[in-house]
Amino acid sequence: MGTAVRAKTAPAWHRRRVRIYDREAPLGYLLLAPTLVVLGIFLLYPFLFGIWLSVTDSELGNLGSFIGLDNFRFEWRNTDGVFYTAVVNTFLYTGITTVFKLSLGLIMALLLNQAFPFRRFVRAALLLPYIIPTVLSYEAWRWMFDPTFSVINWLLVNTHLAPYPGPNWLGVPFNAMAALMIVNVWRGTPFYAIAFLAGMQVIPVDLYEAARVDGATRWQQFTNITVPMLRPVLLVVLLLSTILTFADFQGPFVLTNGAPYNSTQLLSIWAYQWGIPGGAISLGAAISLVLFPLLTLVVAGVLFLLRRPE
Amino acid sequence: MAAVARVKVRRPGTGRVIGDRFVGRALRIYLPLLVMLVVTLFPFYWMAITSFKSASELFDFSVSPLWVREPTLDWYRHLFTQTNFPRWAFNTAIVAIASTLISLFCSILAGYSLARLRYRGADTIGWGIFVTYLVPPTLLFLPLTFVIRELHLFNNLWALILTYPTFLIPFCTWMLMGFFKGIPRELEEAALVDGATRIQAMVRIAIPLALPGILAAALFAFTLSWNEFLYALIFMNDSLVKTIPVGVTQELIHGDEFFWGELMAAALLGSVPVAVLYSFFVDYFVAGMTAGAVKG
Amino acid sequence: MTQGNRAKSGWSRREFLKTAGVAAATIAFPEIIISCGPQSSSTPTATIPKPRKGASIRLLQWTSFVKPADDEFVRQAQEWGAANGVTVAVEKVTGDQLQPKTAAAVEAGSGPDIIQMEYAWPQLYTDSCLDVSNEVNILIGKLGKPDPVNEAFCKVNGVWRAIPYTIVPNAWTYRTDYFQQAGVTSFPKTWDELTTAAGKLKATGKPISQTDGHAYGDSLTMWNPVLWGFGGKEVNADGKTVAINSKETRDAIRWAQGAVKAGLVVHPEWLDPDNNQAYHADRISGTLNGASIYIREKIEFHHYTDVTNNAPMPSGPKGTFAMNLIFNHAVMKWSPDAETAKAMLLALMEKDSYLKWTTVASGYNVGPFDAFHNDPIFAADPKLKAFEDVVAPGKWPGWPASPSKKTAQSQTQYIVADMFAKALANGGTGDIEAAVGAAETSLKAIFERP
Repeated sequence: MGTAVRAKTAPAWHRRRVRIYDREAPLGYLLLAPTLVVLGIFLLYPFLFGIWLSVTDSELGNLGSFIGLDNFRFEWRNTDGVFYTAVVNTFLYTGITTVFKLSLGLIMALLLNQAFPFRRFVRAALLLPYIIPTVLSYEAWRWMFDPTFSVINWLLVNTHLAPYPGPNWLGVPFNAMAALMIVNVWRGTPFYAIAFLAGMQVIPVDLYEAARVDGATRWQQFTNITVPMLRPVLLVVLLLSTILTFADFQGPFVLTNGAPYNSTQLLSIWAYQWGIPGGAISLGAAISLVLFPLLTLVVAGVLFLLRRPE
Repeated sequence: MAAVARVKVRRPGTGRVIGDRFVGRALRIYLPLLVMLVVTLFPFYWMAITSFKSASELFDFSVSPLWVREPTLDWYRHLFTQTNFPRWAFNTAIVAIASTLISLFCSILAGYSLARLRYRGADTIGWGIFVTYLVPPTLLFLPLTFVIRELHLFNNLWALILTYPTFLIPFCTWMLMGFFKGIPRELEEAALVDGATRIQAMVRIAIPLALPGILAAALFAFTLSWNEFLYALIFMNDSLVKTIPVGVTQELIHGDEFFWGELMAAALLGSVPVAVLYSFFVDYFVAGMTAGAVKG
Repeated sequence: MTQGNRAKSGWSRREFLKTAGVAAATIAFPEIIISCGPQSSSTPTATIPKPRKGASIRLLQWTSFVKPADDEFVRQAQEWGAANGVTVAVEKVTGDQLQPKTAAAVEAGSGPDIIQMEYAWPQLYTDSCLDVSNEVNILIGKLGKPDPVNEAFCKVNGVWRAIPYTIVPNAWTYRTDYFQQAGVTSFPKTWDELTTAAGKLKATGKPISQTDGHAYGDSLTMWNPVLWGFGGKEVNADGKTVAINSKETRDAIRWAQGAVKAGLVVHPEWLDPDNNQAYHADRISGTLNGASIYIREKIEFHHYTDVTNNAPMPSGPKGTFAMNLIFNHAVMKWSPDAETAKAMLLALMEKDSYLKWTTVASGYNVGPFDAFHNDPIFAADPKLKAFEDVVAPGKWPGWPASPSKKTAQSQTQYIVADMFAKALANGGTGDIEAAVGAAETSLKAIFERP
């Protein structure tokens, strides 16, 4: 779209653009080639196969035949409400954790961008939750939440912040959802922080200097320079994190596996339960693809936002 | 560095300078940092303490569980003598490094191509690359298994090195697109006018300027590969080709009994060295870039 | 098979090879007799599978709690491999991980030659499991009647799709000192007595506790037997008609609510390891589990070994029921050396080696054939007897319907456990009708799905 605007206002540019445009196509495709080859081999087939599965009656080990949207209809009509619980929980889980991860990650990046003693140590330390193998950290959290051995509750009780025996973290629906979110935020925040920190490095220092000369406060510098300049990074990180959180399986699976009585059920776990232990792979695929159209729109929207300021 | 410079630049008379030095700075930086450190590190402290506790002390909450009375190195010893942990760590590192390099190579080129070059279909391809994320890996692994079988890569680290880029490249590409777009077009155009080719402009100007983004992408890619669990579980069979997350859970969880000391020892050994390594990288890109290539 | 010739059924490898070597010596064993039942030691016609020299066999199974038992299993397999010129690899993964690995193998049509099947996996993966009727019949000839629960899982539409391997029995492990302190002299024989006992034990501060959450083993082994003990069932024997909405189901739930109000503590957040840990930490006085708690006390902690005992399942008004973990071995259709794989499984099931293995397993496993009854390991430690006693009243999830894909789905969606958990929320005061209603809707969704 940048081209179009320029074409109207500056014919000279236009001509030059067209020339470069012609020359750029082969190079553009050439540079894309390695990516397309890797993704084509290892992703395209599984991706299309996954979509195809969702409109068949396949079971594990038996390729079924096309049945249209019956799998989606089956879940849609599911009257016991587990599916809807899963949809609502998935949105809550993604939405709430994203707000926290985004704001905490931004704060963390701003802090890490300052000079202070032991900065190297502090940076490494704050990155740790993101580095530790997920399965192991989730097991550790599960143990910290275990009512019998909850060191969190031990602290709460011994500092008189909560009456004995402390909250039942994973056994009460509300607490269990909160526990899932706490762990996700703990793990996900450094991801945002690293990305923002990197983004801050490419903001030209002159911008801040100029703003300071103009007497801009720190807050004004933040809202008028840092945030707009971070926008491309922010959008990509936000998008990726949203999608990954939507599909997050490992953490919730280790921590609650949907218990107590499906109150922490998420689409990813529900899809897994039908698809793998239940063998109804087509239904599992349908459940995990049920939000595909919506997410596609979100991706398209963010892509649009990302491209606009050229 | 930047902050110090900022304080100096601030003109006297704009107020809050004295408060800024001590109380202000403490409230603004040290206090929130401290809170974040405590929250972030507490689980690690707990893991560390756990890894030094004997099995019976582990379950004893009659005295403070926050300290260890009779520290033991048994779990660590066991980890190194009774399991293939060193080998798992080696495998994990190989896979993570190789898949990160492949992903970076692909996504630097693709990111540059999509951000800077104009040609038909660029938007659609960029969009298509990202949309692939929308099929969750909990099911994607089934058809992928079929591909791995056809390529005869089962039980071979190459299976992981080649499949991990599928979830690394899309993100890295998009992330780098953002960074490439942030670099003023004029810099490259100046080079082109001076007679450089597109490739030269990319290698000499765009890539160095996007270095913080490249390093950040590398960090993500490395970490995601380091932690990946599902594909490693499905594609690897022998103990000698396992990665840390898979090897540790498979050989340290027996039926319904967890061996926490060893699990936590493995978790720490699987993360702290990498974190230390990271801190140097992070420092490098932060320090290197504030030196101000962008200014020029 | 009678007691008398069981002693002779030690069926050594050498004899086995000799028999196999003599070309004509295939032993007759007509199908008809098998289907009549196990009274059949005489007339064999089975073809004994021959191992191929140079073959390589990969077996996938779970990491058992008793590590030495895993090691013994591997040792036996490799010893057999060495003697027959076969490379044997045993791959072990955790219980959670076994299913996705199996699913991937089934989907790819390639993978381990032998996979350990948990519960109704032969029903889920029927087409990928080779017919092993011939081999099971050989075993029946040697070892007698197979355990009915293993049989229900292994036999799909009359064809054996897996070879019975083992049972991990689940019984109550409890603290005799706390029971005495509370004035309970022996472990309750009925569910109603359990309510009374739970009330008394709550007063000691160490309650009887169990999960009602999404625990892969402990939750199912508790709440299915409770449901059955009061006459409830998920579905009729036809495997189609959902029958959860009954007076019997409500009786079972009312008992559970009464027990919780009296002092039984249920934990919807507990997974399988949690009750073990709570017990080892002296937090609870009793729980339902595999023998792992007792064994780990006995061989590792030694804290409460003397004051720990085990007891079988209490009875309900409609009888005594139990549920145990059931494992079987399937030979997969993609195996290039299926005959070798079958031969290896037969060798491992041979009485001498099998009993050697259960001895190392210290009571965690029970053999699935008549010949393994009265395993000396259970006589060696009388406290382990309870684990042998829960085998006979054992049933499978979905009973009285035969195991099927549908029962597997209801099992892995924890529908029975969730029904109890809903009714037991807030100290056993949940809405019974809502709990039964939700379970019925979920079951109908599963069983009426085409």
